[in-house]
Amino acid sequence: MSGKASISQSSTGFGSGALSHVYIKHPPLRCSIPGSMGLFYDDGTKLLISTTSTQVFSWKTVPFSPLAAPTTDSISEGPILAVRFSLDEKLIAVQRSNSEIQFWLRETGETFCQKCKSESESILGFFWTDCPLCDIVVVKTSGLDFYSYDPASKSLTLVETRKLNVSWYVYTHESRLLLLASGMQCKTFNGFQLSSGGVIRLPKFEMLMAKSEANSKPVLADEDLYIVTVYGRIYCLQVDRVAMLLHCYRFYRDAVVQQGSLPIYSSKVAISVVDNVLLVHQVDAKVVILYDIFADSRAPISAPLPVLLRGLPRSNSSTSRSNGRESENSETSNANYHETIIYGDDWNFLVPDLVCDVANKLLWKIHLDLEAISASSSEVPSVLEFLQRRKLEANKAKQLCLAITRTVILERRPVNMVGRAMDVIVTSYSLSIKTGSYFKGTKAERRPTGVPNVNNPEAGTDVSVSQTDGRGKSIKFESNSRHNSGLINRSSTYSASDSEDTGSSEPLKTNLDDTPETQPSSLQPQTLGPVNNLVNHDVLEQQETQLATPAISPDEMYKFVFAPVDEEMVGEPSYLVAIILEFLRSANVEKVKVHPNIYVLTIQLLARSERYAELGLFIINKILEPSKEVAFQLLESGRQNPQTRKLGLDMLRQHPLHNDYVLLLVQDGYYLEALRYVRKHKVTGVRPSLFLEAAFSSNDPQHLAAVLRFFSDFIPGFRNTTDFCAYYRVLSEMNGTVNA
Amino acid sequence: MGLASVNPSSEGLQLCIFDLRRGQHEGQELDKILFFYPADLPFSTQLSVTGLSEGLITFTRIFSPEAACEVIEAERHSHVFYEPEPDIWMVMVVEKSKEAEAIWRTDALREVLKEVHSLFMMFHGSIRALLDKEPGGGLTRSHLYPFVMDYLRDIFSGKKLQLPSFHDCLNERRTVQMLTVGREAAIEVQTLVRTLESSAGNTHCFSLILFQDLLVSSTLPPEDTINLFTYAVLRLTPRALSSGVSSWSYLRKGYSSSQVAGGSTFAHSGSVAEQFSGSVAEQFSGSCDTSSGDDRYRVVRPLQNDRWSKGKDGFLITDIWGTEVGDLDLATPTVWLKHTEARMYLCAYQYKSLTVIFLIPVNSILNGEQGVSMEKQKFLENASLKILKVEEKLSKGWGGENAYHVSGYRYLLVDSNRAISRASPAGKVTTLTKESLLALHMLRDEVDLEKGKNKWDHKAHDKDLEMCIRAKNNAWVIARITGGKELYMVLEKANEKLLYASDAVEKFSDRYCNGAFSLD
Repeated sequence: MSGKASISQSSTGFGSGALSHVYIKHPPLRCSIPGSMGLFYDDGTKLLISTTSTQVFSWKTVPFSPLAAPTTDSISEGPILAVRFSLDEKLIAVQRSNSEIQFWLRETGETFCQKCKSESESILGFFWTDCPLCDIVVVKTSGLDFYSYDPASKSLTLVETRKLNVSWYVYTHESRLLLLASGMQCKTFNGFQLSSGGVIRLPKFEMLMAKSEANSKPVLADEDLYIVTVYGRIYCLQVDRVAMLLHCYRFYRDAVVQQGSLPIYSSKVAISVVDNVLLVHQVDAKVVILYDIFADSRAPISAPLPVLLRGLPRSNSSTSRSNGRESENSETSNANYHETIIYGDDWNFLVPDLVCDVANKLLWKIHLDLEAISASSSEVPSVLEFLQRRKLEANKAKQLCLAITRTVILERRPVNMVGRAMDVIVTSYSLSIKTGSYFKGTKAERRPTGVPNVNNPEAGTDVSVSQTDGRGKSIKFESNSRHNSGLINRSSTYSASDSEDTGSSEPLKTNLDDTPETQPSSLQPQTLGPVNNLVNHDVLEQQETQLATPAISPDEMYKFVFAPVDEEMVGEPSYLVAIILEFLRSANVEKVKVHPNIYVLTIQLLARSERYAELGLFIINKILEPSKEVAFQLLESGRQNPQTRKLGLDMLRQHPLHNDYVLLLVQDGYYLEALRYVRKHKVTGVRPSLFLEAAFSSNDPQHLAAVLRFFSDFIPGFRNTTDFCAYYRVLSEMNGTVNA
Repeated sequence: MGLASVNPSSEGLQLCIFDLRRGQHEGQELDKILFFYPADLPFSTQLSVTGLSEGLITFTRIFSPEAACEVIEAERHSHVFYEPEPDIWMVMVVEKSKEAEAIWRTDALREVLKEVHSLFMMFHGSIRALLDKEPGGGLTRSHLYPFVMDYLRDIFSGKKLQLPSFHDCLNERRTVQMLTVGREAAIEVQTLVRTLESSAGNTHCFSLILFQDLLVSSTLPPEDTINLFTYAVLRLTPRALSSGVSSWSYLRKGYSSSQVAGGSTFAHSGSVAEQFSGSVAEQFSGSCDTSSGDDRYRVVRPLQNDRWSKGKDGFLITDIWGTEVGDLDLATPTVWLKHTEARMYLCAYQYKSLTVIFLIPVNSILNGEQGVSMEKQKFLENASLKILKVEEKLSKGWGGENAYHVSGYRYLLVDSNRAISRASPAGKVTTLTKESLLALHMLRDEVDLEKGKNKWDHKAHDKDLEMCIRAKNNAWVIARITGGKELYMVLEKANEKLLYASDAVEKFSDRYCNGAFSLD
C-alpha cells in the first residue's frame, strides 16, 4: 500500500474538528480510594500516592498501565504535607509539619522522626537523592540540610548544611537539579545539581522579569518555573506573566545561558515533555503548542491544537478514534469519563508526561500523535528530522518516515528536496550505527529469509552488553546523550547554534541512572496508529515493538521505499534514478554501506529506459559498486545491449568470480580465451565437456585438439575419462575427413 | 597570403563529395559533384577524380555490394573512400610525398571524413535530405562548402596540412576522451545531471558535461556524444574559446592566429576563406560568407572560428545562428540528434573549466527564444549551486595536462565498445623518435587490416590479437586487442627481452585497465 494513502488518510481521519497532535488515551489509571485525603506524585520513584488517615496507597506509573494495582502501607495518623518514598522504596518519608518529617521502614514498620532544630526555620520540602554525599535533602527557609541514612542505626545523620535564604524551591529527580529562589521578587536563584557524580553548585543567576508599571514588581512563584529535560539537556522554563513569554534557560556546569523565549497565550501554562518534545499547555486557551528545542529554532512544530481524549467507548463520535482493540480493554464503569474536561481546573501536570485529574482521581499519560504532527507539515526534511529523533515510539516513527519518503517520491517532489530528506535519513542511520542504538532494535527483529543480514557481527557484541547489566538502561541512556551531542556537531544546519556544547562550558546532563523515556516497553501495540496498517503486516511482525531508534538502514530503504515505489511508479524511471543517486550521495558522505540490491534496481531502471551509455558511466565510475549481484544484473540487462553485457563480464573477472566468468566466456564462444583464463588463474571445477562441446561445434579440428590437449595437461587422469575418449574419437574422425 | 600560399598544400590534398544518383547523363557529370577541394581546380581534373572513383565503386560493387571500394593505393596518391549515406561518397586523395612526413594511415584519414560528415549531419541534417529538399543541389552545395572549408581550416596549420600522419598514431579520432573521477565526484556529477534533467520537467533533455577538454558525463547515446564532444572541444571549451580572444575583426585574423599546444585546435583562418570567396562563390551559387550580401540561402556556419564567447550569465553565446528578427538577443544554436532524430536547442554554460551543455527539444518550446531563455533561467536557478560544487570537486582531483601520463610508456588505449580513448599526453608523445613512430604506424596499419578482415568474418565475435615488434631503434612497439579494447604502446629504452615487453604490458594493464589486457 502506498505511503500517499497514509498521509491523506491521517489528515482526513482527524477531520477539521478533531484535529490534534497530542492525546490522552482512555482508560486512565484510576486512583480513587475511599477516604482519600491527599494525592501526591513522587517523581523520584515515579509513584502516584494517595493517602488516607492511616494508609498510603501507591501506584507505579512507569510503565504506565491503567490496570496497575496500588500497594498499601500503613502509617500512623496525622497531618500529611508531603510523602516521598526512598529511591529503593524501602522507606516512606512523610512531612508532618513545617518542622517535622517522619520515616517508616516499610518492612518492619519501624519509625523515626527528623525535626528542625530552631524555631525560626521551617521545612519547605525534601527529596531523596542518589548523590554519593547523602540520601535525603531537606530544603528549609534557612538553607539545605544533607542527611545520610544509616540502615544499621535506622537514623539520619546530618552530613552537610548549606546556609542560604530560600523563599521556595523547585526540584525534579529527572534532572537532579535543585533551584532555590530568593530575593524580593524571588527571581534570584541558587542552583545545585545533586548528580551521582557529586554536588555541583551552579553560579547564582537572575531570571528576567518584565515590569508592568514603574512601581509594581511582580513576584516569581514556584508554579511559574519548570525544569525540563530534553535530549539529555537541562533547561529551565520561566513564565513571565507580564511579558507573556516563556523564557528558556539552559544549564551548563559553569553557566546559565538564556536561550530565547517562547510566546504564551494563556495566563496559566503547564509544561510536559513527551519523548523529548516540549509541550506547552496553554491551559486557558485549552490548546497545546509543541516545540522541538533540539535545534536553535524556537518555532513551534505545529499549530496550537487541543489535547484529544482517545479511545472512549460509545463516545460522541467527533472526538473519538476508538478502534476495536482499545474498547476491549475498557471496563464498563466509565460514566464519569464522559465528563472528562480537557484542561479542567483540576488538571495537575506531573513531570514529565502525566496529567492528574485531582477531582476525578484519574491519571492520564500524554502521548504524541506522530502521525498527525507529520501530516501537519509539508516541509518533509524537517518532518523526517523530527521523526528520526523520536525514541519513544520508534517503530511508529520509522513507519511514518518510510511512508512519507515513499509519498514524496511518488508525488515526484523536487529532487533537491527529496535529496535533503535522504540526507536526514542516512545521517540518522549513520549515527545510530555509531552509537549502536540501531542494533539494539534489530537484534530482536527476525529478519526475513533470503535477505542477508549485514549487521550480524555488531549485533552479537551488542547482546552481550545488554545482558550483563541490570543497569542496561543507563548505558542506553548514555548512548542517547552522546547521540545527541553528536547530532549537534554533525548537522551542519544547526552547528553554529549549539556550539556551546563543544565549547568550554560543559553542558549539564541528566544523570545516567535516570532513564525516563527510553523504556521500550512503554511502546504499547495499541498506540500504533492506522499508518501501520498500511505497511505490510509481516514487516510489523518482524520488527515487533523493540526498536530503539527509528533509523532506517539502506536495506530497509530498498525494501520499503525504493522497491515498492518502483512497482507503483508510472512513467519515466529517471526520476527514481535521480532519487537513488541522492541517496547514494548521502550514503557516500556518511560512509554508509549500501546493499547491492539498490544498485541492481538502478541498473534495471536505467536499462528499462535504454540509457545504456549512462549505465556504463555509472559502472565505470563505480557509482554502482561492483559485486556479484551487480555483475549478474549487468549480464541480464545486457541481453539487449552487448556493451552492458561486457561490463558485467569485466566485473565478474575483476571481482573475481572465476567460474562464472569462464562459463560465460564459453557460452559466448570464447572457449580458447576461457582456457587461457583457466590456466592463468588456476580455476578448478570447470567441466571439460563444455569446452569440448564448444570446440566441436566450431568444427575446427585444431581447436578441438587444442582443448583436448589442454585438459590432458591440466587435469590429471583426464585421458582416462569418457569425455576424452569420446572427443578423441571425434577428433580422429574429423581429421580423417579433412585428410580425405 | 592568398592563393599562392595555399597552392602547395592544395596539391597534397583533394577532397570531394559526390552523389552517384545525380548526373547520370552524358554531359551532366558535373552535377554529381557536391563539394570539391581545391575548388579552383579545373573541372576536367575534378571530373577525372570523381570519374575514377565512380568507376572503381561500380566495379568493386560487383564483388562486394555492401562495402565497395575502401581505398586505392596508387604510386603517388592514396584515394580514401567513405560512403556516409547511401550513394553519397566522400573521397579524399592524398599525395604520398617523398618526404617521410606524408605517410598516411587510411583508417585515420577515413575517420576525418567520418568526422566531417557527422558534424555536418549534426548541424544540417543528412545530405540526402538537403538534396531532396532542393533537387537542384544549390542548397546542399551552399551548406557543404562553407562547412567543410571551415573544418579544413582547422586542419591547415600555416601552409601545411595537418592530416593525421604517423605522428598521430597515438591518437584516435571519433572517440571521446574521458576524465577519470572518483566515486564521490562521480556521484556529484550525476546528481547534477539529474538536476538538469528534472529541471526540464517532462521534456526529454540531454546533457553533456566537460571538464577542460575531457568528457565527464553524457546522457546522449555514443554517436551523438562523439559529435557533440568533438564540436565542444573544437569550439566551446575554455581552451577553444581562448584561442579566439585575439580579435573579432575578420581582416586581422590572418596573421594574429594563435596556435594552441596540443595540436587539436588550429586557428589559421584567413587564407582559406579568402581563397574561397574569391573563386568558389562565382562557381557555386550561395556565398559562404553570411555577411556578404547576395546569398540565396541563409547558411549557418557552425564551425566558423572565433564566433563563440562567454556571456555575462555564464552561457556561451554566438552570432553564428544570427539574431532574432526585431530582437537584440542572439538566436540559440540548434543541433540535430541522430539518435532521436529531433532538432534540439543547444545551450552551453561555462563555469571556470566546467562546460555544461544541455539540449532541449525544439518542439517542446513553443515560444522560441523567449522559451529558451526561460529554460536557461530555470537552469541557473536549479543547477548553479551544484555546478559550483562539481567544478570544485573536479578541479581538486584534476591532475593537469599530464594527468594521464604513465612514465616509461607511450600508449593509446581505445575502448571501441564505448568509443572512448585515452593516450599519453601529446607533449610526451613528441619525445618519441621517428623510428618508433613509424614502426607503430606500420603496426597500426597492420592491425587495421586484421580488424577489417575480422569485421567481415565474424560480425559479433571479437577477436583477440597481439603483436609485438622490435623497431630499428630497439624500441618495443606493441598492440594488444581483446574484447573490443585496444592497447597500443611504445617502449623506448627498453630491455631487449620479449618477456620484458610482455611484463610491461601486463603491469600497465593491471594498473590502468583493470586487468583487461592481462589475459596472459
